Order: sequence, then structure tokens, then C-alpha cells
Amino acid sequence: MSGDTALHPRPLAWLARQESRLSWRDLVWLMTAGYRWRSRSVAIWLIFVAVAMHFLAYGMVARFAGVTEESGVDAFSAVTGSIGLSFFLMLSQAVEQVTRLFYGRGDLDLLKSSPVSLRRVLGLRVFSVAVSTIAMTVFVAAPFIDVLVLRGGPRWLCAYGVSVAGGLAASGIALVLTAALFDLMGARRTRLASQIVAAVIGSAFIIAIQVVAIVSIGTLSQSAFFQSDVVLAHAPGPQSLLWLPARAILGDPAALLIVAVTGLAIFVAPMLLLAGRLGDYAMAAAAADVATGHVLGKGMTGFFLGRFRPSSSAGLLRRKEWVLLLRDPWLASQSLMQLLYLIPPAIFLWLSYGSSAGGLVVLAPVLTMAAGQLGGGLAWLAVSGEDAPDLIASAPIAPRRMIAAKVESVMIAVLIVFVPFLVAMAGRSIRTALIVAAGIALAAASSTLIQVMFRSQAKRRYFRRRQTSSRIATFAEAFSSVAWAGTAAIAASESWMALGPAAVALLVLTGAWLIRPK
Amino acid sequence: MQLREIAVNRAAPGMGTDAETSALVVQGLRKTFQRPAVDGLDLVIRAGEFYALLGPNGAGKTTTLRMVAGLMPPDAGSITIFGIDALAKPTAAKQITAWVSDEPMIYDKLTPLEYLAFVAGLWGIEPGLAERNARELLRWLELAPHAEERCEGFSKGMRQKVALAGALVHDPKLIILDEPLTGLDARAARLVKDVLLQKVAQGCTVIMTTHILEVAERMAERIGVIAQGKLIAEGTLDELRRQAGSKVGDTSLEDVFLTLVAEPAP
Repeated sequence: MSGDTALHPRPLAWLARQESRLSWRDLVWLMTAGYRWRSRSVAIWLIFVAVAMHFLAYGMVARFAGVTEESGVDAFSAVTGSIGLSFFLMLSQAVEQVTRLFYGRGDLDLLKSSPVSLRRVLGLRVFSVAVSTIAMTVFVAAPFIDVLVLRGGPRWLCAYGVSVAGGLAASGIALVLTAALFDLMGARRTRLASQIVAAVIGSAFIIAIQVVAIVSIGTLSQSAFFQSDVVLAHAPGPQSLLWLPARAILGDPAALLIVAVTGLAIFVAPMLLLAGRLGDYAMAAAAADVATGHVLGKGMTGFFLGRFRPSSSAGLLRRKEWVLLLRDPWLASQSLMQLLYLIPPAIFLWLSYGSSAGGLVVLAPVLTMAAGQLGGGLAWLAVSGEDAPDLIASAPIAPRRMIAAKVESVMIAVLIVFVPFLVAMAGRSIRTALIVAAGIALAAASSTLIQVMFRSQAKRRYFRRRQTSSRIATFAEAFSSVAWAGTAAIAASESWMALGPAAVALLVLTGAWLIRPK
Repeated sequence: MQLREIAVNRAAPGMGTDAETSALVVQGLRKTFQRPAVDGLDLVIRAGEFYALLGPNGAGKTTTLRMVAGLMPPDAGSITIFGIDALAKPTAAKQITAWVSDEPMIYDKLTPLEYLAFVAGLWGIEPGLAERNARELLRWLELAPHAEERCEGFSKGMRQKVALAGALVHDPKLIILDEPLTGLDARAARLVKDVLLQKVAQGCTVIMTTHILEVAERMAERIGVIAQGKLIAEGTLDELRRQAGSKVGDTSLEDVFLTLVAEPAP
């Protein structure tokens, strides 16, 4: 090693390269699960998705390419609604990434012991959060923007500028939120709290809009809501600052400049104000991670496992799964997050209770789909996310019995969640309730079986990344849930055509069984 | 303080007539990944014996023990535990076996007492007896003050002790340990060693891998040395010295081990 290298700390550009390399490897790992041979298929898959998204976007937004600033407040309202939805998703992602920044990397001791300024490194990492938030937003929005540019002209390119400004603003706000959580709750609780905040932010906007849409105009459609008379009656005039982002997207250069400067300011201001404390937060997070003596007891859930009592091994395994889930608020919030999306249909159900049973038909696919997704998530936790696989494998229980017990624990949990909905439906139409119950059971059982077929060994904390364990399982689970949702919807409409999607679901299951890892 | 003998009212199904003489008989065991990890291994461990399995990294020790514990199927060979064909009757073999690995796999969200209740339940131990065993083990392993705390805040040593308590709560006849002392401080390591010696004194059979040769030298009655998936030497320390061509009583196990593994496997 030369003396020069040892004496001169590396410049910021070198650190930026290092950070971008780490981020890139994280991203590649997320997509390939660490298998090099998957890189090519992931690349092909991404190209396929990009092309498919462009076709999808064409069908969805091509007709809006002629919308201009002169189109009026109803156009501003619809565009602003879409921006709001995207922004809350960006904010959700940014909060999660900023949290990971403080807790996730295991190199803090190395950085602290090096002559590099920790403040500069963390500042750089916050910037990389903004870059990745922007990149993700652009990746999703690009097909829609491209279609609008193609059909409506280059003025729509301004939407890219708004995406960048939105990503910067979301990252700045995420930093402020996370810092506030550190100050209010302490480092030990901040990780869990911010993960829950991120999840709630990601779903709250869309759910709130749906709820308001149902209550005010009786529809689940967000786009119809933003252009409804109810919203337009309360909307400000066309010159309102609220419409600035919409004006920027529609090609107003002055509006774009203001939006871009605002986004930059929202990102830079907290960076400057909090720069001196970033290192403190990181060190507090590291200390919280290694702190011992963090005493948490059995709590209410001790009832399930806390006592020595006669029990079958299957019963023990079931109770163990429930206790582990109930005692992990992050996992519980992640796996039950999908249930938040049931709030709008629940309100819809409640409001339409007095009307004809026909209104219930629209709930059949929603509940069935949600059951499939919930069942898949819980099954992954129970089967692949086993924390003590050696203990279970070395126990005197036949593997088939052990798997059966875990499947039972998932199915019972799903049943508990959906029973209130089914009871409410049965009050109006027992036949529809029975059909939806069958749909829920089939969707949850199919997702669970797919997770059993493609089981692997993983840490429970990788729940959010479980799709990397097996892409085939992820898609099979999604396709089977969609097919069962279609089956339930058509069956609830009293049509024999329901056999079609049911056959598709069975084909998906058969295909998954044939290509399952041996 | 003595660890009282833990009694378990349990039938051991499928026990053979030679169960009292051989705790473990392994014949022609093979497992191949990219290359042979275990290559026709033969091993006999007597009942009530403390047996240490040594070998360089990648020699096949862990793979061997994982196959014996029923965590991994062998490609070929047979495994007999106290007369039970472990491949034909895995459940019966597991009923009298315990496994502890170097990385304690316990449930962070459970308390030690809950963990032990869960493990005892899996092995079908009568609840009253299981609770007495669990509390005794927690006291012996100095975990009693933490019995009602969740394991998520525990140090590596405490977690390893919880895992060991889990292995002992159902009173196994054969305890299989893979590097159980890795990462433990001196006090925790001493506790674990004491518990294992107590169990052997009570008639239990222990097979353990370790890289700490001093532990093998002091604790094991016999030592097996494995290299490239084959057993290249076996016996008491003096027998190993002779096999290595060293003078009896004059050479440390470390020297003997290095001499043995330096030679190509037969």
C-alpha cells in the first residue's frame, strides 16, 4: 500500500461510486436473489415488462393525450389526483429506504473507524435514496409518459421533471419523518414505527380516496371521483397553486420551474438542517441493534404457548405460528396490510346492505383476491420463514404432518379474518356468502399450496422480498388468486361460465406442481 | 451443583437388542454436492461415550452430523441409532436424539420457557415433567432470571444456552453437537461443557465437532479425525498419537491432528 493512499482520505466522488455500486448490487440481488444465472432472464423479463407496460399505458392514457391547461379544473383535478397517488407511494418507499439507511448497512463501525466524515457519507446515502426513489417512479411512470409524448407531443416530457421533483420532495419529507420518529420514540422503536408508517402512507391515500368516493358518489373508481361534481364543487379556481404540479405535467414551463425548485428545496432544507445529526441517528440505531437487556415478556399471547400442557404436535405448531406473528408487529402489519384494502369494500357492503343482493357480487372478487394474497403471505412465513428449521427437522414428527399443521395455521388465520365479511354477506344473501366463502377457501388454499411446493429457507425479516425466493411461485400465486377471484365473481352472478376461470386456476396449480423444485 | 437426572416417561419405539452397546453405527455413508462431502464413512460410537469428531474446514464433519440428526438425507449408506434404522424409521430415531448447531436457531419472539414448552411438546414429553425439566435446565444454565423474557435481546451465549436447554429438555439418549462452543465466553463455555459431562455421566451419549482441540483433548473419551469425507484416524488420544507416529504422552493433540490431516487420506 502506498503512503499516499493511506494519508489522503478518499474524495466524495469515490464514495459516491462506492455507494452506487452497493446500491446496484442490492438491486440486482433483489431481482436475482443472488443467482448469477438469473441475470439474463431478469433482463429479458424487464424488457418484456417495459413493452407490455407501454401497451397497457396506451390503452389507459392515450385518449388523454389531448388534455391541455385549457381543459379546465376537471382535468387539473384528475391529474392532481394521479400525482397525489404517485407521491404517497414515493413517500412510502422513501421512508422505508431512509430507515434502512440508518439500520440496514453493517458497515457503520468501519465508517466510524475510518478517517471519512460520517456526516458526508450519510448525506450521500440520503441523496442515493432520492435517486433510487426517482428511478423507481420514472420506471413505473415512463410507459404512461412515453405514450402521452407519442400522442400529445413533447410538452408531456415535463412529466419526467415533475417525477424528479416529486422524488426529491418525498426523500426530504421522509428524512424529516424519520428524524422526528428518532426524536419522539427513540432508536429502538423507530425502525418498527417507520416501517409501519411507510406501509400506511403507501396505502392510506388510495384507501381514503376510495372511502370518500364510495360515501360521496357510491363508486370505487378514483378517476370518476376526481372528476365528480362533488369534488369539482369544492375544487379551487384554475389559478390555484394546488394545480401547479398538474400545470407542470401539462407542459407549463413556469409551473415546472416552480415545482422543480420547490422539490429541490424540500430535499435540501432538511439535509442542511439535519446534517449534523445524521451521524447521531445512525449511531443510536446501531446501539439499539446491539443493546441487550431489551426485556419484552409474553404479554397477552403467552396464553397460546406459555404453559406446559398436553397438546398434539400439530396444535403446538399452529399456536407457535400465531404467537410469532402476533408478537411481530412489523410482520403482522405487512401481512395484514392487504386487509386495509378491504376497508373500502367493507364500507361499500355496509352502505349497500339495504339494497339488493346484486351489489354484493362486486365484493366476491375483492374478498377472494385478498384471501389469496393473505394466504400466500402467511404461508411463506409459516413454511419458508421458519426461524428454527433444524429444530423442526430434527423433531420426531413426520414432515407431512408438520407441513399439514402449518397449512392449517394459515387457513384458520385466513378464516378468522374473513368470517365477519361472510357473516355480513349471509345476512343479505346466504347463497352469495357461500360462494364467496368457497372462493376465499380455494384462493387461500391454492396460494398456500404453491408456497408449500416452492418452499425454501429464508429469514422472516425478508418477508417483503419473498418474491425473490421464487418468481414462479409469485406469479403462480397471483394468477391463481386472480383466477379464483374471477370464478367467485362469475359464480356469484349465477353463471356456469365460472367454470372457465376455475379451470384456469386448476391449470395454474397443476403447472406449479409439475415444475416445483424436486 | 449437580444437574439432577432428568427422567422421561417415554417409550422408545423400535429399539433393537444391541441398543445398549452401540449408540450410533454409521456404515458407508456418502453425500455428494459439487464434490464428495462424505465419502463412504464408517463410524461406531458406544453408548455412554463422549466422542469428538475433528477435521479441517470442509472435511465433512457437519454434513455427517446433519445426516445422523435426520436433517439431510444421505446419498448412500446406513445410520443406526440405538438399534433403530434412522433412515427407515426417522421419527423413532429422532425421538431419542437431540441436535445443537453452532448457530443457535431459536425463536426470537418466544421466551426461553415458552421455547422449552414448545420443544418438549414436539417430543411428546408429559407436561408436568417437561416443566420440571425446563425449570431445572434454566436454573442450571443460569437462565432462570431471564425465563420470561423474549430471546430477541439475548447475547449469542445466552441463545446458545437456550438452544442447549431445548436439546436436553426431552432427555435424549444421543446428543449431536456441531461446534457448540463457538462464540461463547469462558463462563458460558464452561457451563455448557459441565452440562455435557454431567449428561455423559448419567449415561447419555455425546458426539461433538469442535475446532477447539483442547476441548476434545480434555472431554472426549475417543476422538475421530475426518478428512475429505473419510475417517482417517480414531481412538483415544494415546491411540491417535501412535497412529500419527508420535511418542505417547509427549505430543499435544494439536500436533497429532496436524500430522494426521497433513497426510493424504487412504
